[in-house]
Amino acid sequence: MDYLTYLSIAIPKLMAGLLISFKVTLVSLLIGVLIGVPAAFARVYGPKWMQRIVIVFIEVIRGTPALVQLFLVYYGLPQFGVTFSALTSAYIALGLNSGAYQTEYFRGAIQAISSGQMQAARSIGMTRMQAIRLVILPQAFRLVIPAWSNEVVSMIKISSILYLVAVPEMMTVAKELYARYFNPFQTYITVGVVYLIIIGIITYLLGLVEKRMKIPGMELDKRSA
Amino acid sequence: MDPNKNVIVKIEDLHKSYGQEEVLKGISLDILEGEVVILVGPSGTGKSTLLRCINQLTVPDAGRVWVRDVELTDPKTNIDLARQHIGMVFQSFDLFNHLTALDNIMLGLVHVLKMDKDAAREKAMMELDRVGLANKYENYPGQLSGGQKQRVAIARSLAMEPVVMLFDEPTSALDPELIGEVLVVMKNLALDGMTMLCVTHEIGFARDVSTRIVFMEHGNIVEQGPPEIILNNPKLERTRQFLGKISDLH
Repeated sequence: MDYLTYLSIAIPKLMAGLLISFKVTLVSLLIGVLIGVPAAFARVYGPKWMQRIVIVFIEVIRGTPALVQLFLVYYGLPQFGVTFSALTSAYIALGLNSGAYQTEYFRGAIQAISSGQMQAARSIGMTRMQAIRLVILPQAFRLVIPAWSNEVVSMIKISSILYLVAVPEMMTVAKELYARYFNPFQTYITVGVVYLIIIGIITYLLGLVEKRMKIPGMELDKRSA
Repeated sequence: MDPNKNVIVKIEDLHKSYGQEEVLKGISLDILEGEVVILVGPSGTGKSTLLRCINQLTVPDAGRVWVRDVELTDPKTNIDLARQHIGMVFQSFDLFNHLTALDNIMLGLVHVLKMDKDAAREKAMMELDRVGLANKYENYPGQLSGGQKQRVAIARSLAMEPVVMLFDEPTSALDPELIGEVLVVMKNLALDGMTMLCVTHEIGFARDVSTRIVFMEHGNIVEQGPPEIILNNPKLERTRQFLGKISDLH
């Protein structure tokens, strides 16, 4: 079978796998934001004990491979009677994983905002929560976009480990394809190119978002002024 | 001091230390309605700390502060509510970077004073006009000069209708040619009868506008009095020395 014929069979199947990769990435990123934003604020503004909890969480997640985290949820928890499907395990493990990284990204963004912003907000009578919501968060969301783009790309690639718990994402589909057509080189080159194109598009789109969200007059780093 | 005037700010035996270093060693100071008090003194003598201890952005270790009749150092006081009416202007302007000049002023009106948007916009435009920047209402802070930023910051505070304005070295971060426009705004404010407490090295401004100059050093008030006396004929040699030095500079 020539490569083009192979592609006409492989691409639709790979796309179905890609959709699942996307779904896992999206859900994990979403869980990650829901963990990351409050955890970052707790890390910067919270009481000492809260900061410590966040630091431990971040270090544990960042200091262990995502695959170990996934296996702990999928294979480990059933030992204690807690059983999740492979997909749910993926959401939990990768969501927590992304949460830790996003905490660090948001923390960086929050700390890049000069402390004068908080003070100015408090000085006109805002509560701390109001200052965070109305002044710090809108700026943090803009500042975090470059780091956040990395996290998106990283999650798309990490989602390939779901192959190891038999979620039918793109790598799982690829394995099936080459088992059938005995062409691992063509198969994985194709998978690689698909990842490359998808990540290229996403990077481009997030670059547009970043440009679009840029605060006028802040193209140069005048943040502290 | 005129006993017929209301006391707006009352500071009683205020202490503040950072680690081993005591920056405020028991400061007491009353500011009457309509007074323009200038705080001068060498850097590191606690002038800014004193200012920040008034609205509790810095929490003093001991001592009490009242603004009007509200004791800000009382833990039962709702400090957010109290701060609504204490304007503060910072050396680094600290305009909200993600908002236009107009939105900078509106933010507090809408979310703190709960004004409706149209009324807030009208009020904010008025305040911008008052500092001569009505035509810059759509500009973001990054698109304004330092002097313009500081004028917007003043307008942001004024919009909250403060009973006193605290200025923490409002012109120290500005290029020399931009200082004048900010001082003009401050002067007009003083002429309108605003009660002001101002940390600055602008001796000319102190001479023209202030009702009292307070000289601080090493966490204490060393000498205070009307500008003509403090600037021309202070009691203490130290005051004369210091003021001589900064007058040479300005």
